[in-house]
Amino acid sequence: MACFERASPSLKKILLQLYRADKPIEIDHHLHEFGSVEYHVQSSLSDPQHAYLSISTPLLSQGDLLSYGLSHYSMEMVKAISLDVVEIVQPAKEGYQLTLRLNLSKIPRGKDSMKVISEISMVQATILSSQLKEMLWTVNSEDTFQGMCKPIKLVYHPRETFYVIKQPLKIAAVFPMRFKEHSDVIIATAFLQELTDVGSSKKWAKVPPCCWAPIPPPELRGEPFEDLSTNGGFVTFDIYPRHIEGKRLDKTVWSLLNFYAYVKYHVKTLQGPNLGEDEQTEKVQGNARCSCVGKSVQLPKFKMLKRKYGDFTRKIKKLRFRIKIHGFRRFRQRWLTIPKFSSSMGYTKLD
Amino acid sequence: MRTLATTPHLKVTASLNSLHRTPCLTNNTTQTDDDGSNTLRLYLACIRNTLDAALCLQNFPCQEVERHNKPEVELKTSPELLLNPILICRNEAEKCLIETSINSLRISLKVKQADELENILTKKFLRFLSMRAEAFQVLRRKPVQGYDISFLITNYHCEEMQKHKLIDFIVQFMEDIDKEISELKMSVNTRGRLVATEFLKQFV
Repeated sequence: MACFERASPSLKKILLQLYRADKPIEIDHHLHEFGSVEYHVQSSLSDPQHAYLSISTPLLSQGDLLSYGLSHYSMEMVKAISLDVVEIVQPAKEGYQLTLRLNLSKIPRGKDSMKVISEISMVQATILSSQLKEMLWTVNSEDTFQGMCKPIKLVYHPRETFYVIKQPLKIAAVFPMRFKEHSDVIIATAFLQELTDVGSSKKWAKVPPCCWAPIPPPELRGEPFEDLSTNGGFVTFDIYPRHIEGKRLDKTVWSLLNFYAYVKYHVKTLQGPNLGEDEQTEKVQGNARCSCVGKSVQLPKFKMLKRKYGDFTRKIKKLRFRIKIHGFRRFRQRWLTIPKFSSSMGYTKLD
Repeated sequence: MRTLATTPHLKVTASLNSLHRTPCLTNNTTQTDDDGSNTLRLYLACIRNTLDAALCLQNFPCQEVERHNKPEVELKTSPELLLNPILICRNEAEKCLIETSINSLRISLKVKQADELENILTKKFLRFLSMRAEAFQVLRRKPVQGYDISFLITNYHCEEMQKHKLIDFIVQFMEDIDKEISELKMSVNTRGRLVATEFLKQFV
């Protein structure tokens, strides 16, 4: 599963620790993220100048055609992180798709060091983005019908497939939305409708137009029935050439890869402040690597929503405070401490 | 049971025999669909008056089990101790069931749920309240089947608290719950809009 922040915070922390260490340190860490991404960071005392970073990640595949290795383009993109510092080790360590040898002594000093380390920590995001970019470029233009290409099914997670359809003027990215719980469907539907409304406003004319429909778009006609059966409808982003020009390509690709994660995060966050469990949820979410949405979660509205539950219960409790009977203060106090219901007023056996 | 008053939005069925005072509704009241606040006022006034009449509870030991004193409205062991239940409906989605017995009264509310989002918000919110029932004293942990939330008022509550304040509490609760659910719904949509904006910002 993609996540909002490209750099892995835990990987970044370990690399910074290695870089800032006064004395050579020995490190052998296995990091697991999102249940499917695994990093292995190794550094030995015998070779303090070098550290080895191995990564295992599910690859974006086209339908049933599973990818077993990284493409040349992905390799090139990884190398481009920092030519001096990063070197790809061939073959990769067993159980991993990619092993990098990091030359720590070549990491520039000062502010640039943070930049390089952050970029190395983004290796998984780089691999994933490069795969999608490559797929978008190599859409089979021969397999067309009335000027439209056959949809390409992209699978990253079995439950999170999406389609890319090349059309004469644009590329359509279609996301079938599936949720396990009925309440998730309702919240997500409300969100997707808001997304469509916001996206169609003039202010957001520059972003890819998006639309939500409960039924599959006509472009997906002919796809297997099980792939088109959803409970949350279909979201379509129309990507025009202007959205993938220059630096915008990277942003567009990353946004598309993150779309599922974004929707699910929003849904779970709303489920999260589950009336009393909000603090715990927020804490857990704070630990997750989703700083980008973290910003949106700092929204006053979110806090308002969170407070709302508490306010209301307080308000109801305060109803008792409204009893202003002169001289009945003691009575009021007694009333307010009634949680002793069982002892003070409960049904007890008569003596 | 018989119908006391019927208007397009308000129907009250009650037994005159069982209550000293009956819900104050005029037969000539006419309401239109868009006059929501007026129907709410009437609905709440009806509940207030019905509760005022029904809350004449007294201590009454259990007739079945010696040395026990239990809310008869819950156990329903002796039919002669139960009064006829009163159902007050504002519309099909909003109704209030008041069941009275000699020593206890149970009031069950069905809260308006215009769409599925309101439905889950109501469920979650009322579950939250029910889980903290001890803080409300008169709140029942589990609502009566077919209703969203139930209160149980016993003669002990009436002895410890002022009757009109108890009624105020129920009515205030009913007034606030609709307001809160609407605000929650608005908050969910507002947050959705903000999250959507944040997502779209990534493309720029």
